[in-house]
Amino acid sequence: MSILIQLLTAFLGSLGFALLFGVRPKHLLLAALGGMLAWGVYLAMEHWLGMPFLSCLTASVFAVVYAEIMARVRKIPALLLTVPAIIPLVPGRTLYYAMSEVVRGDLAQARAYGTETLLAALAIAGGISFAIAFRELRTTR
Amino acid sequence: MIDSKAEQSDLLDCLLRMGDLLLDAGAEISRVEDTLSRLGTAYGAMRTDVFVITSMISMTMEFPGFEAVTETRRIRSDGQPDFYRLEKLNNLSRSCCTEPLPLEELHQNLEHVASGRKPLYAKLIGSVLAAGAFAVFFGGTMLDGLVSAVFAVAICFLQERLSHTDVKPVGENLIISLLIGLGVGIAATLLKPLHMDMILIGDIMLLIPGLAMTNAIRNMLVGNTISGVVRLAESLMWAAALAGGIMVALTIVNYLH
Repeated sequence: MSILIQLLTAFLGSLGFALLFGVRPKHLLLAALGGMLAWGVYLAMEHWLGMPFLSCLTASVFAVVYAEIMARVRKIPALLLTVPAIIPLVPGRTLYYAMSEVVRGDLAQARAYGTETLLAALAIAGGISFAIAFRELRTTR
Repeated sequence: MIDSKAEQSDLLDCLLRMGDLLLDAGAEISRVEDTLSRLGTAYGAMRTDVFVITSMISMTMEFPGFEAVTETRRIRSDGQPDFYRLEKLNNLSRSCCTEPLPLEELHQNLEHVASGRKPLYAKLIGSVLAAGAFAVFFGGTMLDGLVSAVFAVAICFLQERLSHTDVKPVGENLIISLLIGLGVGIAATLLKPLHMDMILIGDIMLLIPGLAMTNAIRNMLVGNTISGVVRLAESLMWAAALAGGIMVALTIVNYLH
């Protein structure tokens, strides 16, 4: 049940961001689907590996590859699909808790949450770089 | 295609306008450089040199039989991406590369794109949907999602109001996160079943400079290091402003308890 709710809200959240950034109605479904699938990949990897960093990295690779392929099919800039697909991976929760622990005065907890936030951001960046490296390998001149 | 000095500088003007609009819409540096040099070649330039960073475009073109011309343009972007425009610009440059439009028409097309922004209601609906969904996504109840969505309307309203003032993104993030943090804190104090953390997380997702950071990393990866570093520093500043606003708000709310 909780997994279903997560996938559904990831879909709606990505849809919201696609709308917010001005993606046109005919590409909205594709953009929202990207976010949901990326989160699905994260959940599956997390279940099998139990390592948040690696799961986030894989999900981010998936999101970028998905966006690049679909963008080519639709002949639109890949950015339109990359951003909504990556949104569910953005570590909003741990960033918030890092801040609230600082305010509460528990610096050890704050550091733990801060590290988690930074690692998630690094994993997303790493995923993007993997995917881009592959794209560059493919386009030989 | 180009047969006078005046036409040459007209074309350069049009292309710089194109680059300006692309950057403002949130395009990556490599896309802007790539688009402008392709267009230059399509219009028959022997040589096109484009250098783009987040705040400036410099472009040199040389046509057979003419002296090379260079122009520079300072770019001021509000940091609000507009994919609606980005797609239109992409289509325009695509069609222009296969079949170069007459200069007059290119100019008109560009101004047409410039006059149309993404619809405001899409931004409002999108913000409400995203904030509500992410509050539930990160573990909040339906009620938390609803309240988060209501505060998303407030965020949209504040962003719209502040965009007419001289407030820069750092100040904007600071003000909005402080006000939203206070609002949610007070609401959660008055209404016990609300979870302040979940509601705020939903709303914070709207304020995190996610696109800017993604773009910064992309820029660095494809070799546009200067722009990447500038964007990264910028987005870290925005994130710090966001954190500052929220932390001050949380301190005040804690004090009220």
